This record gives sequence, structure tokens and C-alpha cells, in this order.
Amino acid sequence: MNLTEASKMKPKRELGRNLGRERSRKAVPFGEKFWRMFRYVLLAVISLAMAFPFYWMVTSGLKTNDEIWRFPPTFWPEAINWSNYADAWNSAPFARYMFNSVFVAVAICVIQVVNASMMAYALTHMNFRLKSSFTGIVLVGYMIPSTAVYLPSYLVLNELHLLDSYAGLIVSNCVSVFAIFLLRQAFLQVSHELVEAGQLDGASHFRILWTVMAPLIRSSFAVMILITFIEQYNNYFWPMLITKDPDLRLVSAGLRSFFVEGGAYGLAWPQIMAASAFTIAPLLILFLFAQKTIMQSVNMSAGVNKN
Amino acid sequence: MRLKTIREGEAVLFTLPALVPLLLFWLGPLGYIVYLSFTEWDFMSPNKLFVGLDNYVYLLTHADFYQALKVTLLFGLGTVIPIIVGGLALALLMNSKLPSTGLFRAMMFSPWVTPTVAVSIAWSWIFEPDVGLANLVLGWIGVSPVGWLQDPTWALVAVMIVTIWKSIGWSMVFYLVALRNLPADLMEAASIDGAGGWDKFRAITLPLISPTTLFLSIILTIQSLQAYDQINVMTQGGPAGSTRTLLYMYYQSAFESFNVGEASAIAVIIILICVLLSGLSFLFSRRLVHYS
Repeated sequence: MNLTEASKMKPKRELGRNLGRERSRKAVPFGEKFWRMFRYVLLAVISLAMAFPFYWMVTSGLKTNDEIWRFPPTFWPEAINWSNYADAWNSAPFARYMFNSVFVAVAICVIQVVNASMMAYALTHMNFRLKSSFTGIVLVGYMIPSTAVYLPSYLVLNELHLLDSYAGLIVSNCVSVFAIFLLRQAFLQVSHELVEAGQLDGASHFRILWTVMAPLIRSSFAVMILITFIEQYNNYFWPMLITKDPDLRLVSAGLRSFFVEGGAYGLAWPQIMAASAFTIAPLLILFLFAQKTIMQSVNMSAGVNKN
Repeated sequence: MRLKTIREGEAVLFTLPALVPLLLFWLGPLGYIVYLSFTEWDFMSPNKLFVGLDNYVYLLTHADFYQALKVTLLFGLGTVIPIIVGGLALALLMNSKLPSTGLFRAMMFSPWVTPTVAVSIAWSWIFEPDVGLANLVLGWIGVSPVGWLQDPTWALVAVMIVTIWKSIGWSMVFYLVALRNLPADLMEAASIDGAGGWDKFRAITLPLISPTTLFLSIILTIQSLQAYDQINVMTQGGPAGSTRTLLYMYYQSAFESFNVGEASAIAVIIILICVLLSGLSFLFSRRLVHYS
């Protein structure tokens, strides 16, 4: 939906809301009250069930090895063993893994902001003969599953001598079709007159893009950066394929190798659960603070599909 | 004329920072993998042997491939449908005139932001056959315990549960947005005309949210074709190939058996499936989907 449509719709919606309000001023019938109560309880139960694996992870990480193997399981640990967390943290270089994940994710975010905005700007506010075929190329990229081309991409990276390096991890992920589409969508909403006005003032496209347009689509940038960061921090399959050096492992690959080697497939479950918990923690904290923006991504990615 | 060329050059310059990696790591490899699928190669030998359609013939005449195709199909249907239907159900439950549901929404969405590897490890513990939570819950409703990840019939179900858990809140938020954008006056008018809840849902809500449904089906199907992390952590394709999807088979034949030709042929088939589904959904969208 574009902005004009939205503004047309607003009065209608307010009308609907007023109708609703008038009705609720009358006494709410018992049946409706009960139904509302029931829905609250149901939603609460489902939400708790959805979040339960996180609770289970954290508390299992606090149990002793004896307790964790007991059946039926205890829902609250008998004694709190924070030492499991310390043990897990020290038995593999998790600090290094997390640094790798954050460093690679941030670098990718920075590059994608630049190259996706330039591409999206060119596709929306510049004229050139190949424009439609470039749009086509991006569109094809959107439909092809990236995992399917991991094998040849691996060979390309090998030819570039970028396997087993930070540069390889960053460069091979430095373009996102999703990011281009998201920003293209945002630029389409900005009037082309702004670009023309900028040009009359003698500004270059580059300057118009970064000083006029970029501030206008801040919220799209925020969404794009958060989504890219989460995706890259969590990335597992591709980084694992292109790095053999344990020092270059991202956090997921590090955790997985701890699970297989250190944990010997399930012998040290409390430590494994503790490690999973502190791997997840930064993301849940990020989600706590940036909830609105992250969920807004849904709004925007739905828009991506419409054009 | 010259000015125009300069302008065009500038535009192309703007696209290069994205276009070069796109060609290098996405579209170039796309052509390369089609070529590789006609060869036999093991990463090491200096020459790639051209074998024509042999890899495809080999795949199409072996049961392993059909098993993987079946698993892929089951996994696709068994995740995409519950995520869409469940997401819509949750959104409906949450939507109309129920205040302060923010906390619920956040709790349901949170699995989507967490790393698949870490949550799959946690779920492996929940699916532990002797002391795991999953069997405890089954016991509560009077079902005898199952072997989950070690049992060929249940392993895929376990992987599906994790996949659904991870994305259902995400699809719910999509539907919440779609439901919020429904024109209220239309709903009111229908109520005045005496339409019941179910009639309104079928005649107004469903058609109006169909673009969201189509979008989710495409995205989720492509995601299900690419599922790797949870399978790698929880089952590694086993037991007895019961969770080996086409993508996992592709990974194994490329990076475990070093059979580049066969792996590439599988990848080409995955890509063809994607293209076919995208085409079909495009046709569908013209007939069934209502764009306002």
C-alpha cells in the first residue's frame, strides 16, 4: 500500500473504531466477557509454551549432571550451579566466537547499507538503458535459493584465495537481494522532485543519496540493519563451509563443535545447555530493546513482494 | 549524446558495488552449477570429465533420490501449512479488540530471532527419549514414549516441530498487519447485513488477506527447501535417511562424498523446483489472490 492509499483509508478506520467504542460503552454482555477472558488465558498458555524452551535451556544449564538425567525432570533446579556456565564458557573460546560473529555481522551490515542503497537508488531515481535487466537480475536472485549455489560459490571463493579468512566471510555475504528490495521499496516512496531539486542545486547523485534521501528512509535502514545483523550473527551453514580454522568460527559453528566434541554428544548436557543459553542471550536482549523495529520488518518485507 | 553516456556510466557505477558480488557469488555460480552437473569431478583431479546427462540419469534411477524428494515434500507440507494456518489462527485470536497483547506477541515472535543451531541443541535435549520433556508431555496425555530423533518415523516430525516453532510467531505478525489493514467499514456493513463470524471470515477476511498468504507460502516454501541447520544439528539426515532432504543430500554428496557432479545435479533440481513453484504461484496470484 502506498502513502496516498493509507491516508485515504484513515478516516474510514477511525469511523470503525468509533463504532466499536460506542458499543463498548454499553454494558459488555457476559458471553463476550467470558470469550475475552478465555482468549487471554489461551494466549497466555500458548505464549508460555512458546517461550518454554528458553526457560528449559537456562534452567537445565543450572542443574547438576545427576539432576538433569532424572525422570520425571525437575522444573526448578534443586541447587543453582552457576559454575556450569563458567565451565562451558572456559572450555571453548566462546568469547572469540562471539567476537567473530559480531565483527563479521557488523562489517556486512556496513557494506550492505552502502551497496544496497546505491543499487536501490540507481534502480529508482536514475535513468539508464540496462535498468530493467538489472531489476530482473535482482529479481532472479530473490527467487533462487542461495544454499543451492553454495558449491560453486565455494569454488569461486577458492579461486579468489578467500577461503579461511575474515575477508571471505565478509565479501561472500556482502550483497543481499532482500536489502536491495527493501530499500528500493523505500526509495519509491520518495518523490523524484527531491532529486531534481538537488540536481538544480548542483549536487551529485552521490550527495543527493546520502544527504537528502538517506535521512528520509532512516526507518528502512534501521530495519534492514537489524535483520541483516541477526541473520549474519546466526549464520551457520555457509560460514562453516568456507572456514576450517577454528579461530574463524562464528558462534553457531563454535557452539555446534562444542556440542559434538566437548559435549561428546550429550554427556555434558548441563554445560551444553548453558552454552546454548549464553549464545542466545545477546539476541534475546537485542530483541527486547528493538522489538518494534524488528517486527516492523514484517510490514516492510510484505511490501517488498508487492512490486 | 556524450552527456547521456556519462550519465549512464554514473548509474552503472552506482550499481557495481552490489552487482559485482551478486554476479560473483550468486548468478555466476548459477551458471557454473548447471555446467558442473554435466561433469564428473571430485574437487582434486585437474580435469572435469564431461558426462552429459549421466548424473541426472543416475539420480532418477536410484531410490535414494526419491526418498530425499519424498522427505523434502513431507517436510515442506508439514512445515509450511502449519506455520501459515497456525500463524493466522494466532493472529485472529489476538486481533479483535483485545488490548495489551504486546507481551504475548513478543514471546511468540522471539524464537525467530534466535540462532537455529542453539535452539536445535536445546530441542535435542527436549526430544531425549528417556528423560526428555517431549515424552513427559506425551505421558501426560496418555501416549507411550517415542524415540524421537532416533526413530525413523518420528525424527522428521521432531525437526518439523522445531521449524514450526521457530517461524509461527513470525507468520502471525504478518497476519496481524494484514488483519489490521482490513477496512473496518466493510466488516461493519457485513455485520449489519447479518453475516455471522464464519461468513465474514470466509467471504471478506480470507480474500482480503490472500496476498499475505501467497507471500508467506512462497517465502516459507523456499525456506523449507533450504532448511539445513536444524537437520544438521538434530539428525544429520538420519536415522536411515528419514530426515535427508534434497538439500541435505546435496550437501552430503558435495562435501562428504566429494561427488561434485551428482551434487550439482541435485542443486539444479532444487533450483528447478523453486522456479516451477514461483511460476505456479504467479499464475495462482492472478486467479485467486485479491490485491486491493
